[in-house]
Amino acid sequence: MKKKFLGLTLAASMAAASLAGCGGSADTAATAADSEETAAVEAGDGAEETAAAEAASSEEVTLKWSVWDISLTTYYEPLIEAFEAAHPGVTVEMIDLGSSDYQTVLATELTGSGSDFDVVCVKDVPGYTTLVNKGVLEPLDDLIAQDGIDLSMYGGITDQVKVDDKLYELPFRSDFWVLFYNKDIFDAAGVEYPTNDMTFEEYDALARSVANTEPGQEVYGAHYHTWRSAVQLFGILDGKNSIVGGNYDFTKPYYEMVLKEQQDGVCQDYATLKTSSLHYSGAFSQGNVAMMNMGSWFIPTLIEKISAGEYTECTNWGIAKYPHAEGVEPGSTLATITSLAIPTSAPNKDLAWEFVKFVTGEEGAEIIASTGSIPATMNDDIAAMVASVEGFPGDEASREALQTANLYLEMPVHAKSSEIETILNEAHDGIMTESITIDEGIAQMNEKVGALLAE
Amino acid sequence: MAAKNRTVDPDVVQQKLAKLNLQLKELEGQMEKATDPRKRRKLIAKITAVEEKIKQAKTGERMTRQQRRDLIAYSFIAPNFIGFAVFTLGPVIFAFILAFLEWDGNNPIQFVGISNFLDMAGNSRFIASFKNTIVYCIATVPLTLAAAIGLAVILNQKIKGRNFFRTVSFFPYVASLVAVAAVWNMLFSPAKSGPVNMLLYTIFKVPANELPKWAASPDWVMFTIVLFSVWKNMGYYMVIYLAGLQGINAELYEAASLDGAGTLQKFRYITWPQLQPTTFFVTIILTINCFKVYDIVYMLAGGSNGVLSESAIVLVYHIYEEAFRNWNLGYASAVAMVLFLLVLAVTLIQFRGEKKYAN
Repeated sequence: MKKKFLGLTLAASMAAASLAGCGGSADTAATAADSEETAAVEAGDGAEETAAAEAASSEEVTLKWSVWDISLTTYYEPLIEAFEAAHPGVTVEMIDLGSSDYQTVLATELTGSGSDFDVVCVKDVPGYTTLVNKGVLEPLDDLIAQDGIDLSMYGGITDQVKVDDKLYELPFRSDFWVLFYNKDIFDAAGVEYPTNDMTFEEYDALARSVANTEPGQEVYGAHYHTWRSAVQLFGILDGKNSIVGGNYDFTKPYYEMVLKEQQDGVCQDYATLKTSSLHYSGAFSQGNVAMMNMGSWFIPTLIEKISAGEYTECTNWGIAKYPHAEGVEPGSTLATITSLAIPTSAPNKDLAWEFVKFVTGEEGAEIIASTGSIPATMNDDIAAMVASVEGFPGDEASREALQTANLYLEMPVHAKSSEIETILNEAHDGIMTESITIDEGIAQMNEKVGALLAE
Repeated sequence: MAAKNRTVDPDVVQQKLAKLNLQLKELEGQMEKATDPRKRRKLIAKITAVEEKIKQAKTGERMTRQQRRDLIAYSFIAPNFIGFAVFTLGPVIFAFILAFLEWDGNNPIQFVGISNFLDMAGNSRFIASFKNTIVYCIATVPLTLAAAIGLAVILNQKIKGRNFFRTVSFFPYVASLVAVAAVWNMLFSPAKSGPVNMLLYTIFKVPANELPKWAASPDWVMFTIVLFSVWKNMGYYMVIYLAGLQGINAELYEAASLDGAGTLQKFRYITWPQLQPTTFFVTIILTINCFKVYDIVYMLAGGSNGVLSESAIVLVYHIYEEAFRNWNLGYASAVAMVLFLLVLAVTLIQFRGEKKYAN
């Protein structure tokens, strides 16, 4: 009897404790609502707010900032130095959450209460949607209105990440996809370099003209990384199709083109790339890839690795605008934004906002551009700064490739984006390993995403 | 001794003793009448307890000897138990409750009844992961058993370099999973130039377009995973079997030889029956480990973005993805309950079997 009683009490107390835990998070939600109110009140009185910020800056404060890849990213340090110089007494501390599962780790950190991050990087849109749905990010609209920030400098991309008409993040980097090419391969084959105005037919023909399928001296005309974005999203560049729309018939011509290239040995086999987990930088640096479509985040990596002497087979590189479908404006491409957001649990919200303003604003943009990365506020001056970075290709065409026409997010904001992502990945995998036909794959996507959207 | 004894009013002690003695008398009276052995045992325990109390009252000690003994025992268990309660028992109980809730870790919790369990039936990734886990178990358990017992029997004989070969067989088990998985994927590369495919192509004359794509192909991925798992784990179970083999009395073999039994007959009538408790233990452990599989599948079939497709997904991965990618903590807990029931079923079989095989 005694033992049974002990067991029961134990179970009951555990249950009580866990319920208490839940109660705790409900409290946090309440505090979050409170702090929103406070923010709104403060927004009403701008002068007072600035005074508070100034008062805060005179004390010793440490801002905690979540990032990934500290050692590989060149602009964190200069950004922090400039910010600390402008705000005496403030220290910015970076916490590296790792690159590959950054969003999962960040979401876990911000789950429940007790996180003390002031500013967080948001790596991708599905991750952003997850955080917004969880209600852990502070809406920024009032702060933006209060400080009169002109969102037009982000080229309309902020409108694409609004959730229920509220903005929870400000972008500081906006990478877009371009075509990287190895000039040496084109020179050796005696073929003209890729231009900034190519249709997909021209691009395909060009890839085939430089490819060499002879065993032992293979040259691949094109290279597609195993991400579905690298193939599927060619289809959304006409602006008429959406990757979360539920109908994927538009991907067919691009799958046909890439699969044909794969079968003819013009590009590397997807299955091999997948099982060997070959990184795109590894593929390009081997010097047998003529063209590779990849995001502009690869530019600073290439510059750095070449100047460090690590990459010796692709030192003579260039970039060109993405190929486009017939009748679509050249320079239409995919974009991925990297943003800053303030968690609802942030201990120093005013100062965090100062930091967000600084990094996402003009000063921050110049610092980021000077390291060869593409900031979110793009204009001619900033494009010129990126192009003038030591190691950037010197030709006019590569500079011009930095000018984009229409930017489409790789994954738009959608409540079910991570589930859709899983379905699209699965079909992409099946089609590219040729275990299902293109038509079967498209039918699978249409059916499953359709069912998900209908829920 | 002073600390143990209290100075108490003798009158109170007398009263207490009178009361206890009365109780004792009553119990002894019951004892004489009782015939049911279970009831008698209970009464004896009660009488002992009362006697202890009488002794305590007489000596004036704070605790009876039994209480003291209990307390010491609990204090030894406590450090481990507190850790277990906080990090295992609590979360386990919480997961049971969560299975009936909807929660993303931040927003208010909602009670949804059994809808999490109903959702599973309509989730193709759950169905695929359930199926794959079962297929993986059914394929892996007998194959690993066969490989382990075969290795153990061979390496139990007095052959040259026995220890070397034992080490070689055990090596995959101790080698880092990440490293050997990478090597494995290189050997089983889907390209025609992959080492294994090259063998198939040149020696077995498999046509180039029919070469298996191993981990990259939905039809072959489970086979690749099972093969890898058997190779990686057989060494460990071989060691358990070796221990079992050493325990078999050599006289049995001697007697069988005198009766003219051959090698196969010896295996059939001596080795196999004598190893039955070992086989039972290994089967149970192996099955439970198979249900928990995650790392092998993730490493072999995860690719560069670590997302498993329906051809390779297993239950533990499904729980992870629902909990920490999609933040459906309630649904993920419900799937965890299904896994729990599967393992529980295997464990219950083990409890029954243990009685049969206990030696």
